[in-house]
Amino acid sequence: MSLERPDTADDGAVERTPDELEALLGDLVVDRDDHLNAPGFVIRPDTVQETLSILKEQAGYDHLSLVTAQEYENRYESIYHLKKFDDPTQEVSIVVPADKDTPVSESAEPVFRTADWHEREAYDLMGVEYDDHPDLRRILLPETWQGHPLSMDYDQERPQIASLPEHANPLQEHHKDAESDTMFLNIGPHHPATHGVLHLKTVLDGEQVVDVEPDIGYLHRCEEQMAQNGTYRHQIMPYPDRWDYISAGLLNEFAYARAAEDLADIEVPEYAQVIRTMGAEMSRIAAHMLALATFALDINGDFTATFMYAINDRERVQNLLEDLTGQRLMFNYFRLGGVVWDLPEPREEFFSKTRDFLDQLPESIEEYHNLITSNEIFQMRTIDTGVLPPEVAKNYGATGPVARGSGVDYDLRRDDPYGYYDELDWDVVTEDGCDNFSRLLVRMREVEESAKIIEQCVDLLEDWPEDERNIQANVPRTLRPDDDTEIYRAVEGAKGELGIYIRSDGTDKPARFKIRSPCFSNLQTLPEMANGEYIPDVVAALGSLDIVLGEVDR
Amino acid sequence: MGTAPAQLFPEFLVDTFGLPGVLGEVVASLIGAAVVANIILAFSGVAGPWAKRKITAAFTDRIAVDRIGPFGLLIIPASAVQLLAKELIIPEGVDRPTWDIAPILLPASAMLGFSVIPMGQIGPLNIHLADPEVGLALVFAFASIASVSLVMAGYASNNKYSLLGGLRAVAQNLAYEIPLIVTAMSVVIFAGTLQISGVVGAQTETLATVAGFDIPAWFAFVNPFAFVLFLTANLAEIGRNPFDIPEAPTEIVGGYQTEYSSAYFVLFYLGEFVHIFLGGAILSVVFLGGASGPGPESISFIWFVVKVWGFFLFTQWARAAIPRVRIDQLIEIGWKGMLVLSFANLVLTAVIVGVIA
Amino acid sequence: MIGLMKSMATTMKHALDGKTFTVEYPEEAPEVSPRFRGVHKFSQERCIWCRQCENVCPNDTIQIVQDEQRNGEQYNLHIGQCIYCRLCEEVCPVDAILLTQNFEFTADTKDDFVFNKEQLKNVPWYKGIDPLESRNPDRGAWIGEGDGEIDYQ
Repeated sequence: MSLERPDTADDGAVERTPDELEALLGDLVVDRDDHLNAPGFVIRPDTVQETLSILKEQAGYDHLSLVTAQEYENRYESIYHLKKFDDPTQEVSIVVPADKDTPVSESAEPVFRTADWHEREAYDLMGVEYDDHPDLRRILLPETWQGHPLSMDYDQERPQIASLPEHANPLQEHHKDAESDTMFLNIGPHHPATHGVLHLKTVLDGEQVVDVEPDIGYLHRCEEQMAQNGTYRHQIMPYPDRWDYISAGLLNEFAYARAAEDLADIEVPEYAQVIRTMGAEMSRIAAHMLALATFALDINGDFTATFMYAINDRERVQNLLEDLTGQRLMFNYFRLGGVVWDLPEPREEFFSKTRDFLDQLPESIEEYHNLITSNEIFQMRTIDTGVLPPEVAKNYGATGPVARGSGVDYDLRRDDPYGYYDELDWDVVTEDGCDNFSRLLVRMREVEESAKIIEQCVDLLEDWPEDERNIQANVPRTLRPDDDTEIYRAVEGAKGELGIYIRSDGTDKPARFKIRSPCFSNLQTLPEMANGEYIPDVVAALGSLDIVLGEVDR
Repeated sequence: MGTAPAQLFPEFLVDTFGLPGVLGEVVASLIGAAVVANIILAFSGVAGPWAKRKITAAFTDRIAVDRIGPFGLLIIPASAVQLLAKELIIPEGVDRPTWDIAPILLPASAMLGFSVIPMGQIGPLNIHLADPEVGLALVFAFASIASVSLVMAGYASNNKYSLLGGLRAVAQNLAYEIPLIVTAMSVVIFAGTLQISGVVGAQTETLATVAGFDIPAWFAFVNPFAFVLFLTANLAEIGRNPFDIPEAPTEIVGGYQTEYSSAYFVLFYLGEFVHIFLGGAILSVVFLGGASGPGPESISFIWFVVKVWGFFLFTQWARAAIPRVRIDQLIEIGWKGMLVLSFANLVLTAVIVGVIA
Repeated sequence: MIGLMKSMATTMKHALDGKTFTVEYPEEAPEVSPRFRGVHKFSQERCIWCRQCENVCPNDTIQIVQDEQRNGEQYNLHIGQCIYCRLCEEVCPVDAILLTQNFEFTADTKDDFVFNKEQLKNVPWYKGIDPLESRNPDRGAWIGEGDGEIDYQ
């Protein structure tokens, strides 16, 4: 069957029981704090690097998926959610408590590069400080911000005042440095190619990029806190649509649904899972079409026909999604325990519309190949530019098409199955080019795979017996998961691994809701891809990363 | 040489209205120049707000401007009013008056080029202002003033994107002007003259007759290789896709024109369109037999319009389909590819012409 | 070169087939799915002032004012901040609030987007379609006919 993984029988893939892991870590483990998804080991705040390197090098946990920071009544806590790229079902959580008054713990950055931004975010929003961190600054909020908004003693009423010197005119008379002959250039936050409000601080030598540093946070809405203020049952579900708002909504809803259903132990009817899977793949097609469209726009420049053709195809998918969910972008279609509506009546019409779309898709894809991938100038521009070697991609926690374009065979739909994916026949797409072109190709081929999945789902739904069409499990109107239960669950979103960490405190609202945004980790790789290249390549690399600032900043 | 070229436009005016002396010639020249300039302005006026939108819409499966007037044509005055009514924003620290001269220089340089272009006849009227002996050299000289304007704009704008755009414009124009002119030289060798009427005249003979149709000896048919070279270099010269890198909106925002607004922006925009039409006019003069075409001489202006607009259409087609090359690739194509090929073409042509003649 | 030609041929094919994807709005109104969620319509006759919609609303879009006898006095909806999640319609036991297909509404200021119950009552249908039609078969499923106990809490 196509879903079998290729053989990777090295030591890293060997599964160890929690007790074996504890034995491996030895004295480093102070306590156990198991989560629903993984064993959790509590360690001392000054042994983070040691513990993580043992796990990375000796036990094969090479994927730092997420760093969660949170505050309890008596302590701060950083959780390192580790996985294996070879088998993401093998998880382990490293819990690092920090002192309430002076929350300091050791940085994981020397072991996992991806910890850089994750820890900066933790510092920014929660106030935990990380020793040894190369560059512990605020990341989402402005430099002048006072206090840490997610910490308990944060006063929301207090106005944020930035004093005059900090807001002095940035257009100083003279910026020239006699020593250097480089030029500093702000790309964004308002620039035609930044795909939203992203700011790249770029240092140029002529047209060549010497250094690029993404500056994010312009679209920060504190989605995590919004989720913490909503009830599990209803009020959180509308918001995932707004993280990655490029019509990947259903994929995001899947992430929340999966985490919350596992937390509250809700069984989802099979019929609803099939509908969910179908809707999610439609979302994926819509998202990838936009990625293709904007990437063509970045390369072709100006205004290109490819952009409009891809948008046309996206519109077709969105029409289907509108029929199904009632909206074109902000679906709010999933509910805990199922979906809100069955397929639209008359069902035959919906099926035939979907089939029409699927039938016409290969023709469109052929057209895109003619338009861009077979075009020599396009190849000249994209092949061997923005190179991201697989080891670097892993170190940065890159996932999704970005990782798969670097030959990292990692797809949660297959490796950590959820929904109805493991019952269906489809392939994980990888390309070995590691460049902009490969990432584009991965997306284009994934669209074909998604079409396969949708087709199988349509077949299944068509033959589903009428009296077994159960779209909703019985779920109480108010959900109150047990006190102090923790879970981290991820799904394969349009841009990569989209994870949700939830800690419950016995009420109907989460005590801590943390989002692992794939774009956040993927964007971190930009300097690796762009340094030494030309400005147009930076733009191309950024386009091929396919970031959505709504998800980066949350 | 074909038929003797008809009387030039100013001379025609002098004769028809009996304008006396030097003053008469000056007046006639001014009138002639005004007429030619207005034809070109009308072209650009139609192309910018209306034709370009319509063409792009056709390529992208959309409906475009069709609300005001027949076929939406009244969008042209509407856009003009709208653009001129906008506020002219002058950024802090721009280098005036360089910043103000640049947008005037661009359309002016392109307009000047038209002074030597034969635009065909309407009835007895031959729309051709002047026919100096070095006409071809002159038109290239005029056209290349445009890059000065781009550098001025880029340098004076006090904006790093503009600066990059200006630098790119210089690099690109240097790299492509030479192949452009060298390729044109191969045509000059064929024609044996730099005078534009001579170059056009050399293309009036019949190259071959296929199934009863006379194929004229246009240099595009005589030497298609040179034609393709010239077309490519021409696209780069006028800065259209795939060589629109001095503007490159997705990379350097708008390049040299980033900081311009209102009337200055209109001037730049106009200049670019006039430049496209000048490119088309040069192409048709050098390779497509000028204004000649089937039918009587007296309607040849129509053929000129068709050829120039055909070239405009081609630039828009390229814009819809061809990705932009990167700056270093562009320079590489220019210096390592086009230059070598154009010289090879020149030598080959010289040898062939030398052997035959 | 062949790739370039292919690109140009493809775009030219699109230019010549004369098909357009866009429509001339507003002369030609776009297709809107029956399930589409647009501006709310409110029926005071049906409303039993149970305040469930106000409770479930994720971002306090709905504001209900009652007198001492718990009779409804005001029903205000800040349409400008609504996220069209349709949860209010979903929890309403009597279909008193309904998201219509109407997406055509504008205002000059944010304040104009606060609709009171009269304005909500007068929201016009879009093309005269009652969206409830398309949802009715599914509403039963939502209220719950599955096996086991149902918790209405």
